[in-house]
Amino acid sequence: MGMFRKMRAAFHDDWCSKCLSEMDKTGKRLFMLPMTVGHYVSHSDADYYRRNLQPVSKKGEIPPGVYACGIISYRCPECGYRRTKLSVFLPVRDEEKYEDAICFEQGELDDLL
Amino acid sequence: METKKVKRYNMGYLLAYIFVPAIVTGVCFFVAYATSAIGPAAVILIMGPSTLSVLWWIFAGRVIFKAKKKKLERELDAQGFVRNHTFNSTGCMVVVDVVNGSIALQFFWNPSESYVLPAARISKTWVNDGRGGKGFMEGSSRVSFFLVVDGVKIRVDTFTSNKRWRMDSEYILTGISKADMMVGVLEEARKKGA
Repeated sequence: MGMFRKMRAAFHDDWCSKCLSEMDKTGKRLFMLPMTVGHYVSHSDADYYRRNLQPVSKKGEIPPGVYACGIISYRCPECGYRRTKLSVFLPVRDEEKYEDAICFEQGELDDLL
Repeated sequence: METKKVKRYNMGYLLAYIFVPAIVTGVCFFVAYATSAIGPAAVILIMGPSTLSVLWWIFAGRVIFKAKKKKLERELDAQGFVRNHTFNSTGCMVVVDVVNGSIALQFFWNPSESYVLPAARISKTWVNDGRGGKGFMEGSSRVSFFLVVDGVKIRVDTFTSNKRWRMDSEYILTGISKADMMVGVLEEARKKGA
């Protein structure tokens, strides 16, 4: 059962990887990533996102062909473990084309939320 | 700025591109037949022109188009044209200067002419996602954006395929996104140029 829970936790962003319990969502925000379609370059450095992300209130504010970035932060109510998930996607009319997902575990993006 | 009307095709170039290699090959075949050529002469007269013709049809158009695009980009930079967006398609290159409200066009089948004109001459722009079929067969194999300049409709493909893709596939979504972006940029340039 323990192994099964660990496998499930690996596929659930909102499951704590330490104690395997469900984490609480503590913050969520949408940003515009100034990169246009066809020119996406993956970055894993938190500094890059701190410098370049521009907050928007809804997807409609992002011009066509420009990438969006959703940041969700989680906190485990049992052990206090924190994780921030950053998803890069291209909004296309009513659809979203996912490009990248990066997790930060040291609170690198806290000042953005 | 250009005042001449935009032409997507140069009929002389198009016909020469297709028929001149075929005619040269035919003449060489006839010479080989008429002179009863044998040995190396026959190989040169029969194999040489036909091989060169096939190579010409496959590569020459792309090489000429690429060279013309590079030349146009150099000329635009020299003129102070701000290349905000450049979209390269198989049949056409569109360069947009949003700052000054201008566009530049280079066509595959009309390489001798390059067009730099005010974006105000664009009368209409739109996107065609190529949606077709019903139910589980619904999809697209071609996404394009269109612009009408001086009454000439120009289609620029952002995605083409020999199979039909679902409308939520990453290829179609990327194609639609590129087309939406280019239409937005062209409209912005048009407002600036008006």
